[in-house]
Amino acid sequence: MKKKLDLWVHSNPTLKKLIMELKIAILIIVVGVSNVFATPTYSQIAKVSLDMKNRSLEQVMDEIENQSEFYFIFNQKQIDVNRVVDIQADNKLITDILPELFKGTNVNYVVLDRKILLTTDPVEKNLLAIASATEPQEKQITGIVTGKDGTPMPGVNVVITGTTRGTLTDMAGKYSIEVPQGSKSLTFSFTGMLPQEISIGSLTQINVTMVESTIGLEEVVVVGYGTMKKGDVTSSVASVKSDNFIKGSVTDAGQLIQGKVSGLTIISPSGDPTSSTQILLRGNTSLMGANQNPLVLIDGIPGDLKLIAPQDIESIDVLKDGSAAAIYGTRGTNGVIFITTKRASENNISTVEYNTYFSTQIIARKLNLSTAADFRAQIKDGFRTTQMPDNGASTDWLKEITRKPLIQDHNLTFRGGNNKTNFLVNLNYNNTQGLFLKSYNQVFSGHIDLNHSMFNNKLKINVNLFSSSAKWNGFNSWDYTQATRQNPTSPVKNPDGTWFQELTKFEYQNPVSDIYESDGQANNIVGRYKAAVIYTPITDLKLSGVFSYGKTTQENGYSETKQNVSTLRDNRNGYANTGGLESIDRLAELTAEYSKSINKHNFTILGGYSYQENDYNDYYMENWDFPTDKFGYNDIGLGQAISSGNYDNLIRSSRTATNLVGFFGRLTYNYAEKYLIMASLRSEEASQLWGTKNPWGTFPAVSVGWRISKENFMSGQTLFNDLKLRAGYGVTGSQPSDLFRGVGIIGYQVNNVSQYVLSNGNWIKTLFPTQNANPDLKWEEKRETDIGLDFSMLNDRISGSIDYYNRQIHNLLWPFSVPSPPNLYNSTLANVGVMENKGLEIMLNFVPVKTNDIQWNTSVSYSTNTNKLVSLSNDIYKLSTDYIQIGYIMPPIQTPSHLLRVGGPVGDFYGYKVIDIGNDPTDVANYGKWVYEGADGQPVKYSDYKHSFEDRKVLGNGLPKFYLAWNNNFRYKNWDLNITQRGAFKFQIANLQRLFLENPTESQYNVLTTAYNNIYGKTQLTAPVEFNSYYVENGDYWKIDNITLGYNLNKTGIKYIQSLRLYVSVLNAFILTGYKGIDPEVSLLNGITSAQSGVASVPTKGLDPGMDQASKYPTTRTFTIGLNVTF
Amino acid sequence: MKKLKYITYTGIAIIAFLMVIISACTKLKDTSYNQLISSEFTPTSSDLPALTGAPYVDWRGLLLQWNTLYRAQEVSGDEMLTPARPNGWVDGGVYRRIHEHKWTTDDDIVVNVWTRAYQGITNCNRIIYQVQTKSIPVAPADTTALIAEMKLLRASYYWVLCDMYGNVPIVEKYDVPAGYLPTQNTRKQVYDFIVKEILANYPKVSKENNQKTYGKFNKWAGLTLLAKMYLNAEVYSGTPAYDKCKAICDTIINATGTSKIALESTQKNVFVTENQNSKEIILALPFDSKYVAGWNDFDVHMQTLEPENQATYNLLSSPWGGVCAIPQFINTFDTTDARYVDNYIKYQQYAANGDKLIASMGDFTGKPLSYRNYVPGVDFSNEVDGFRLGKFEIAMGATNRLSNDWPLFRYADVLMMKAECLLRTGDATGAAVLVTQVRQRNFKSNPSKATVTSSDLLKGSGYDYGLQNHLAPFTHEGGADIQYGRFLDELGLEFNQEARRRPDMIRFGMFTKKSWLSHSPNGDYRALFPIPRTEIAKNSNLVQNTGY
Repeated sequence: MKKKLDLWVHSNPTLKKLIMELKIAILIIVVGVSNVFATPTYSQIAKVSLDMKNRSLEQVMDEIENQSEFYFIFNQKQIDVNRVVDIQADNKLITDILPELFKGTNVNYVVLDRKILLTTDPVEKNLLAIASATEPQEKQITGIVTGKDGTPMPGVNVVITGTTRGTLTDMAGKYSIEVPQGSKSLTFSFTGMLPQEISIGSLTQINVTMVESTIGLEEVVVVGYGTMKKGDVTSSVASVKSDNFIKGSVTDAGQLIQGKVSGLTIISPSGDPTSSTQILLRGNTSLMGANQNPLVLIDGIPGDLKLIAPQDIESIDVLKDGSAAAIYGTRGTNGVIFITTKRASENNISTVEYNTYFSTQIIARKLNLSTAADFRAQIKDGFRTTQMPDNGASTDWLKEITRKPLIQDHNLTFRGGNNKTNFLVNLNYNNTQGLFLKSYNQVFSGHIDLNHSMFNNKLKINVNLFSSSAKWNGFNSWDYTQATRQNPTSPVKNPDGTWFQELTKFEYQNPVSDIYESDGQANNIVGRYKAAVIYTPITDLKLSGVFSYGKTTQENGYSETKQNVSTLRDNRNGYANTGGLESIDRLAELTAEYSKSINKHNFTILGGYSYQENDYNDYYMENWDFPTDKFGYNDIGLGQAISSGNYDNLIRSSRTATNLVGFFGRLTYNYAEKYLIMASLRSEEASQLWGTKNPWGTFPAVSVGWRISKENFMSGQTLFNDLKLRAGYGVTGSQPSDLFRGVGIIGYQVNNVSQYVLSNGNWIKTLFPTQNANPDLKWEEKRETDIGLDFSMLNDRISGSIDYYNRQIHNLLWPFSVPSPPNLYNSTLANVGVMENKGLEIMLNFVPVKTNDIQWNTSVSYSTNTNKLVSLSNDIYKLSTDYIQIGYIMPPIQTPSHLLRVGGPVGDFYGYKVIDIGNDPTDVANYGKWVYEGADGQPVKYSDYKHSFEDRKVLGNGLPKFYLAWNNNFRYKNWDLNITQRGAFKFQIANLQRLFLENPTESQYNVLTTAYNNIYGKTQLTAPVEFNSYYVENGDYWKIDNITLGYNLNKTGIKYIQSLRLYVSVLNAFILTGYKGIDPEVSLLNGITSAQSGVASVPTKGLDPGMDQASKYPTTRTFTIGLNVTF
Repeated sequence: MKKLKYITYTGIAIIAFLMVIISACTKLKDTSYNQLISSEFTPTSSDLPALTGAPYVDWRGLLLQWNTLYRAQEVSGDEMLTPARPNGWVDGGVYRRIHEHKWTTDDDIVVNVWTRAYQGITNCNRIIYQVQTKSIPVAPADTTALIAEMKLLRASYYWVLCDMYGNVPIVEKYDVPAGYLPTQNTRKQVYDFIVKEILANYPKVSKENNQKTYGKFNKWAGLTLLAKMYLNAEVYSGTPAYDKCKAICDTIINATGTSKIALESTQKNVFVTENQNSKEIILALPFDSKYVAGWNDFDVHMQTLEPENQATYNLLSSPWGGVCAIPQFINTFDTTDARYVDNYIKYQQYAANGDKLIASMGDFTGKPLSYRNYVPGVDFSNEVDGFRLGKFEIAMGATNRLSNDWPLFRYADVLMMKAECLLRTGDATGAAVLVTQVRQRNFKSNPSKATVTSSDLLKGSGYDYGLQNHLAPFTHEGGADIQYGRFLDELGLEFNQEARRRPDMIRFGMFTKKSWLSHSPNGDYRALFPIPRTEIAKNSNLVQNTGY
């Protein structure tokens, strides 16, 4: 101990400051425990016996340390420890021994509790006074601490500056403190507020108004397994507080921060009330790994964005770069999103908050499908063949299946308790009607947070219970597709009240009938229990254990009546299915953290262990041939399809269990908050890698920061309030998503279909290897470098950060093509290839106007990303072609949509390039058909075009080159106005709506009004539906996404009501784009694979961006009115 | 320092405590709930049929799943095509390219046949290895027969490869070293290997022909495969072997007394839904919609019928309307031939309740759905265009899969193989007797039409070859110049829709010479398929077939 201290002291000779640092550290620990000072200090009790002659000073000090809990702190330059001394003491107080020991030297000493400080510098008198606490001359200071608005603030720390001595304000904001003579000032501090130091002088009453810390450098941000002051963070972390969230009827937690964090792409591709947002952070990082999405931690427990009611969220923090996320090892590879729910606060007086809103939606843009009038004109113009006759009616099919929905949300938050025990209860009810008939999502959720401190605050317990119960009926995209296909001159019903149907047409059915002649519902219950225990056995050491158990159960049922096409056309005689699932997550995380500040050296060591497991099972059964429609899906056994024995596989179930075990450690150190360093290491094993040669992965990270603004040479300037340069490198990873890919597996099924063989007159299920085993399978590794600059200038009027990152994903998991034979299957999941993501993120915040009445905050964020496949082979796995084909376009196209070439970017559309249309009526084979650009760049007539792979070209790229967002926040007196705008630029979209619906040869269905327009002003199209460059459009857009106008009343004048806020909001307000489809903000995940039975399917997750599906849910515009009341 | 010790002790205690917890919690989950981990699975004799049956499964996928052998052998020929339809069937031009002999090295038929045939081969190699190493518990008395059966089955997969690609690697071992890349063999080597394997192994398998051997390689299936190899010996190896082929056929024919193999009284009987154990079938690929339940396992009816036909058969799914007969081929039929009647779905279509069906797509919307023997071209067609494939009976109430067993080898083929050998070796009279024998059941009401004479068989083909689509005036190349062309016609009449037209046309030397519908010759090298580009990419030992 002493030796170590020597070293630290050696590098920092100013003892006085060392003492200060120590005190601050102690202060932090003993905050709120003022009665500590009433007990006699250690030095007044502890006694030591010494009988030492001709010994070095060091030996004597060692002996004192051995006998007691005292230890010495000193600077080796000042103190000669080799000085020979004689000392004799019999059970004496240290204060008696020290004068004798240093008699005749220039050494001054201070005894501070158990620490003995030695110095040759003069020791300030007041410090000596505090240390020995022998001078009882004290005076009492009292006062009241209030917030900006005059309300009393309980729980504020009041400390005699430079000492550990302090107290807390009471519920009325009042405090009282005994101050020793000579004390200079009091420091008032409170989380989220600027600390204030007030000179005492002759005052006996000091009243203080606390001010919120605006810069946020003292603000605490969430990092892995703990929190940090923002100013000390050395990696790219973004934090969004609830004030800054998108207001109104949001889909899920993801939408709250849409456009608020640079580099984080959040897409809400569907207005379906059961859908969720899609998130992509800094580009694609994994092709086939288990971790395709950012790790979402809700109060430290893994979850998903949909789980928690948006109203229940206090803040969202995002760890963007690998050096920060590496502490989470594998799961953090796509970044980490911390969702902090509203917490019980020990400082709060009891409050009740009620928040509510009501919303409705309209379709913002819809397809310009031919109306009945258009249709009749098309018939008159001879464009329509007989296959879609005028049936005499005028029907807007989209209108027939939609409605004006009502969305309501009610949220109640209770907070109460004191600094020992406190609680929060949050109750939320959300009922979202979908725009489409019968679609809805109704959720009731509750959340209880309970904190208790005991044993002098040495033990803190947090219990967090969360539960939600939801039921829903989703939007059926097939009904929407049918609505786009229907003849607008057809009636919905026949005169006799039955549904109008033309069921012999290919894939053509009345969507209104589909909706009314079916019934479905899903019920989902989530329960999560979390307990956290934090034990502080000694100063600076914190042991914590977090345990959670979460369980999701879901059941769903769906049925179709005998008036549904499943009977009228498909002879099912009534149809129903039911299914369910149960997923159980268990988590245990144990951490030990030791923090210490010595002089200007501040360090924290963290070590921990994490265990996570999931047990999942589901079942599904379907049946048909029911005697009645009466029971829907509630009596599945009533159907006779199962009992007929003619069908296999109508009942199925499955189960999987996975776990993940990790050990981790982290060291953070800073010198004078000027030079910062953080290093972490996580070692992890995953059950997906069971049976491989090495299931363990190691994920190191290191990051450094330099607070330039703290340097002496910056002390004179007033331009920068803060300036920090940081750099980090971190490795994260991903295990495969499937279990047991490393070992030989034999099974009875391929793609859930049993492989039977007829054996001696009986059909038996065969048993066969289901995969090529790869014992070399290992972790995918993402190596990320991040260089960033954080700054704040001109009195915090301008602040921001700039980050450059480079992510190299090594050992990419990919179903690698292997020769068969010798392999049984022609692909093996292997770690092959390297992918790279590079990008720049800039976030700038301005406060152009700031007066008492008016404030304008504005922020701009910019991010860019380039995503490249660097290689796709290694020593074992070699591919002579340098590309893979990705994506799939639905029938009648059935071709891949994208190409991923080694050295090329992710997201390239690959297809035929149109340069003209055949316009010679005598050339029947080519009239009205595409003229394509051949491989040699020359035009090729349609009849000569081979449509081969070699004929394809890159037609564009579906990933935006950059994103821009601009948030504005105006406040005028009690009014506030928020405007969120965002856009994506330089990318293309495959407009499949036009591809399928703008082709006049598809005349068995309705088409867009533009279908009969001449192509290139020449002639109508006569070629069949074909994916080519004509349908690849620029997708650049700018959305004025969210506009919220609010009125706040802080002093309502009404008894019991403390504050009140009323707001109106519109979501997806305006869009500026040249794109011809419904919405250029298209799904990042296409989710359609070319899976054929017997052929290995390749997931396209994220690798085929920019596909605007024909059945896309129309974009909605949402109007909301909301009210928040605090009682 | 006491304080320090306190910290140390506390630390040690905590670490010890953690170690206890952690050591119990570093074990990875290793339970598989619906698959068996090979290393933990010890098969018992009750698992044997399930284990040794697996290599047969691959044949079904090889033959009938989407864009596999069936399309490669039939749609590339002069009997059927998949034209663009009002509801699609363009699909990037894949079907058109098969018809026009313009397939690429990436096309499904090229890739899938290779993949699935080799999957079957590797499965056979695996079972052979496991039996030999006793890792699956086969009774010693059964070992020889089982290994021989697997080798015959493996030979059948090699037959497909030899026929489709010619120059493919022969891999006989399962336990190859890591990183092993097979080396390529010539087509002749592949042919020799198959013949050698069959000769060595057919005597070792069961000569029974009963429920136990149904769907399995018995002696007769092995011999039929051998006869097919010899019949095509000239194509496969450069040296004809018609005498050998005839001898093998005779062996089969002469043993019918004990094997109970015989011609069915009608050809239709071979293809009905409940055709299992048909005495004409020598080797069946058994199907049952209940058990063979992959989406495209046997969906010829879904591919050929129009959606309206759902009502004809009360199907559980709407058919997709695509593949149909080439009119020029249909014209080679005598319309009183039972095979013309039974093998194609023609003219006005009716619902099961007798209602006339009406077309609902394309130019014929609102008009009767009446299939006509006219197809404008591969690039365009209407709902009514082309006779539909109906050789395999479509059961009332069928799912999207048929339950008819697929006769991979049947007795009529043995007779016709022998006839062809006789014809080619100068015994046209003997050939005529056999051809007549096969024809007779199809002209029951008009027996004289069944008779074929030796001089008939020496004529050329009656097929009106020529480019005959809507884009240009028809051409008429005819088939008179095809040697034994009449016999080729007979093969078409009897074996249409049985995934074998291409090799027959190749053997008669006209596959790459003649035009039909929208197809015109595209080079003799098209008689072999290219080795998939992806396979060459993976195995640098492979050299692409000439011309590709």
